[in-house]
Amino acid sequence: MRVYTERDTMSSTSGRSSLDDVVDAYKAGIDVTLIDVNLRRSVDERLANLQRFLEFAEELRRAGRELATGK
Amino acid sequence: MTDFAALIQRLSDAAIEFILIGGVAATVHGSVRLTRDVDVVYARDSNNVRKICDALEKIRPYLRGASKGLPFRLDPPTMTAGLNFTLTTDEGDLDLLGEMTGGGTYEQLLPRAVRIEMYGRTCYCLSIDQLIAAKRAAGRPRDIDAIAELEIIRERSTRT
Repeated sequence: MRVYTERDTMSSTSGRSSLDDVVDAYKAGIDVTLIDVNLRRSVDERLANLQRFLEFAEELRRAGRELATGK
Repeated sequence: MTDFAALIQRLSDAAIEFILIGGVAATVHGSVRLTRDVDVVYARDSNNVRKICDALEKIRPYLRGASKGLPFRLDPPTMTAGLNFTLTTDEGDLDLLGEMTGGGTYEQLLPRAVRIEMYGRTCYCLSIDQLIAAKRAAGRPRDIDAIAELEIIRERSTRT
């Protein structure tokens, strides 16, 4: 298996690929304020938020299933 | 639903050699994206494989998405014969990878992985550069958004 290093997958100024342009286009849609808030948290706080986020998402899915089945 | 703390503590407490990858690793670095499972690359030596099987036995690992009732057992012969396992357990979904696309094996990833403190344990986690490299190498369209976010995190982390 080939192992890719960071150098393999990071673009240089002269060697940009279309993937770099696509990634840059996606960056415009990312809310950096959420990232900044998260970067000020500890690792354990980030993981606790992830757990709460997952619980919330699962609750939404459950509610959606109930709505769809009329229960 | 996956209990991230329980799964990671279980692996760590059993002294299993593993590296966190995927969504949980991205969360460690600051990602705000949702992930539903724990992904790890594990060392393939027989001692580590045995420790994995022992540690997971109590939480009933099973092939995720497979039909119920199949004669699957996560034991050393099964793990040795296979490589990557996508599992469901009583503590949630766990992906055990012997090799990661674009990143390689545990031994190949370890030198540039980072040691982190989480849940009161010390674990290895892919560095943000390794995460980005792996996702770029995998080339999946659904990873593009994740790559963009990780690159922003890297830029903003180095600024502070």
